Amino acid sequence: MSETTSPTPFVVAPGPHVHASESTTRIMWWVNAALAPASLWGVWVFGWPALAVAGSSIAGAIGGEWLAQRWLGRKPTIADGSAFCTGLLLALTLPPRLPWYAALLGGAFAILIGKSIFGGLGFNLFNPALIGRAFLMASFPLAMTAGWSAPRPWFGAPLDAVTTPTPLAVLREHGFPAALAAASAHGSPWMALLLGLRPGSIGEVSVVLVALGAAVLLARGIIGLAIPLSVLAGVALVTLPTGHVGLHLASGGLWLGAFFMATDYVTSPNTRGGQIVFGLVIGVLTGVIRLYGGYPEGICYAILLANALVPALNLWFRPRRVALVGSPS
Amino acid sequence: MSATLHTFGRGGIHPHTHKSLTAGSPITAVPPPPEVWLPLSQHIGEPAVPCVQKNDLVKRGQKVAEAAGNGVPIHATISGKVRPLDKRPHPTLVSAPSIVITGDGAMTEIEWNEDPAWRELPHDEMIARIREAGIVGLGGAAFPTWRKLSLPPDVKVDTLVINGAECEPYLTSDYRTMLEQPQAVVDGAFAMARLVGVKRIRVGIEADKRAVIAPLEAAARAVERDGIRLGVDVCRVRYPQGAEKQLVESLTGRRVPPRALPTAVGVVVQNVATAVAVVDALRWRRPLLDRVVTVTGDGVPEPRNLRVPIGTLLAHLVQACGGLRDGVTRVVAGGPMMGRALPRLDLPVVKGLNGLVLLTGRGPLEDGYGPCIACTRCLEACPLGLEPDQVSLRVEAGRSLDSAPFGALDCYECGSCSYVCPSGRPLLQFMQVAKAALRRAEELRIAT
Repeated sequence: MSETTSPTPFVVAPGPHVHASESTTRIMWWVNAALAPASLWGVWVFGWPALAVAGSSIAGAIGGEWLAQRWLGRKPTIADGSAFCTGLLLALTLPPRLPWYAALLGGAFAILIGKSIFGGLGFNLFNPALIGRAFLMASFPLAMTAGWSAPRPWFGAPLDAVTTPTPLAVLREHGFPAALAAASAHGSPWMALLLGLRPGSIGEVSVVLVALGAAVLLARGIIGLAIPLSVLAGVALVTLPTGHVGLHLASGGLWLGAFFMATDYVTSPNTRGGQIVFGLVIGVLTGVIRLYGGYPEGICYAILLANALVPALNLWFRPRRVALVGSPS
Repeated sequence: MSATLHTFGRGGIHPHTHKSLTAGSPITAVPPPPEVWLPLSQHIGEPAVPCVQKNDLVKRGQKVAEAAGNGVPIHATISGKVRPLDKRPHPTLVSAPSIVITGDGAMTEIEWNEDPAWRELPHDEMIARIREAGIVGLGGAAFPTWRKLSLPPDVKVDTLVINGAECEPYLTSDYRTMLEQPQAVVDGAFAMARLVGVKRIRVGIEADKRAVIAPLEAAARAVERDGIRLGVDVCRVRYPQGAEKQLVESLTGRRVPPRALPTAVGVVVQNVATAVAVVDALRWRRPLLDRVVTVTGDGVPEPRNLRVPIGTLLAHLVQACGGLRDGVTRVVAGGPMMGRALPRLDLPVVKGLNGLVLLTGRGPLEDGYGPCIACTRCLEACPLGLEPDQVSLRVEAGRSLDSAPFGALDCYECGSCSYVCPSGRPLLQFMQVAKAALRRAEELRIAT
C-alpha cells in the first residue's frame, strides 16, 4: 500500500499530542479502591447496620450530584467517581448504628451544600464529606454520639449491647486504663486498636487497613506524605504531655482523616510549605479538641477549620520560580 | 562516563519515548521528489527575495532567493525547472509565497570544491559562508545560525553546548546523525567553538543515547587542537531536557534568566544537525539542501529516518514509509510535545522540521476537559516553577490580565503542564492566551 490520502480528516488540535494516563476519573476510583479494605472490614465487623449506613450515604451523595447537575444544567459527571468518594468517605466517619435516612441525608447535604453550591468539583472550600458529617453532628447529635456498637458477636462482645463508647470517649471520661479496656475485651488492646476489633466509626476502626489503602495511594503518587505526616506530628506534639501519645495516634479517625481527607486536592494547599503548615494546624487542633474541647474526637472540625486557611496558605506559600532563584555559579 | 546523570533543577516529565520505533533505522535518502516547494519564509526573520525567473533551469544547490534583513537565502534542492512564484500551503504559516521547482529526476548538483584551509578561516568569512549556505537552527526553532553565532562585542562566552538531547518522544534524527556522522558533528562543533572563541565544548545527550559517546569522543580526539576540548555529558531522560535553558542548567549549573538567551550566562547552544550543516558550508561552500526527518508513529507501517531535500512534500515522505495506515488521526510536524498538528500532507518539509509523527486513536482535548481539581501536578511538572493552574483559572474567569504574577510571560511552552493534567485541561493554551493579553496590555500602556 502506498496510500497517502486519508479517508477521514486529520485532527488539528493544539499540542501536546500525547498525555499522561492519569485522569481525574482514574484518580477518584483509585481512592475509592484504596478505601475498600477499610470499608469492607467495617461492614464485616459491625454487620448489616454498617452496610446500610454506607449504602445510604453513597446513594445520598450520588443522588445529590444528580439533582444538582440537573437543576444547574451541568454535564452529568457521576461516573467520575467523586460523588461516590464523598459518600463513601462520609460513611466511614459515621457510627455503624446511625439510622439509614440520616446517612442518606448526610450524603446529599455533603454534595449539595458542601460542593455543588460552590460550583461543583474543584471549587469547594471545605471537604464535602466532613461538611456532611458536621451537618449530621448538628442534626442528629444523639445518634451521632451514641450510635457506636461493639464488634459483632463472634469477636466476643454482644451486639445487643447496642451502644458502647469509643476508646477516645472513655479516655476522656475515665482515663487511660479504662480506655484500653474499652478498646477490647479480648486479647491485647493494642492489637484490637490496630486491627479494628473495637468500637468506632465504620471506617476508622482498623488503622492497619486504612494505612494499607494510604500506601496504595502513596505508591501511585496520588497523595504525598507532607500533609499526613504533619497531621500525625501535630497530634503527637499536643498529646505528648498526657503520656498517651500511642493511644491518640492509633485511634479515632486520625489516619482516615490524615491520609484520605486532609489530602483532598481541592481543599488542601498546593505547595510543600503550605501543606506542612496545613497538616500541623490540623494535628494541633485535633489534639486540642480531644484534650480540651467538647468532643472526644477532633479531626473532623480540625480539617474543616484548616480548610478555611487554604486560600491564604496558597498565597503565602508559592512555588519557587526558577527564574527568580538566581544562578548557583 | 559520569556516575551521576546531569539534569535540571525542577519539574519535567517522563513521557513514553517510543524511540525504539526508529532508533535502529539508519538514515536513508528518499527517492528524488517530483517537485519541491521552497517557501521564502523558513526561518525566523524576513522572507528571502526570489532571484530566479519562471522557466529557469536550476541545478541542485543553486541559489533561488537572496537573504533579506537578518534572514538567509534559499537554494534549489533538486534540479529542474522553476515554476511561477505562487502561494502554497506552509506547515506553520498556513500559506506562504513559495518557489516551486519541478524536478527532472536527475538531481544534478553543482560541483563543490573543497577549501583546504576551511579549518583556519577568518571569523567574518565563516559567518558569511554559514549565512550564504542558508543554515538555520535545525533543532526546530529555525533561527538563522549566522545570527546566533555573531555575538555582540560585550557578550563573553566560555562554553559551546551541542544539543543532542532530543528529548521529544518519537524523534531519533539527531541520535542517528550523531551515530552515523560523528566526525561531521565534531568538526562542526570545533569550527563553531573557534568562531565564538571558546575552548570548552559539551555535547549534551540523554541517557538513552549512550551509543554515541564512543564515536563522538573518538572523532574529537582526532581533531582536538588549539586547546579546544570536547566532552559528552549524559543527562537523565527527562522532558524538556533538550530545551536550551534546561540543557544549559544540566551541563553547566548556570540558570538562564527568564526571557534571556543562554549567552547571558556565557553559553552558546547549537543543535547537532546544525553542526553538520556548518561543516558543509565551511568546507565546500555547500548550502543546506537536505535534512534528516524522523517519520514515525503507529500511523505508518515502516517508520524511518529519512534524508530529505528541503521542500519535499510530506506525502512523499509518508509514501517512503509504506503509506498511511488506516485510522491515522493526527499528523504532527515535530515531536508530539511541542509539534504542530497538520491538516494535510501536501505541505513542504521546511528547514526546521525534525520529525513527522503520525498518530492513531483519540488524542488529548478531543473529549473536552474538566475543572481544575488542584492536584498540583502541573506545578510539579513546570521546569520554570510557574503556576499554570492559577493562570488557567484566571483566563477562564475572563481575568487574563491578573495572571502576570503566576508567570504567564515567562512560559516557553514546553507543554509539560498540559501533559500531566488529569482533567485534560489545555493549560499551555491558557498560558498562551494570558501571555497574548498581557503583551497587548503592555503595548497599549506604552502607546498611551
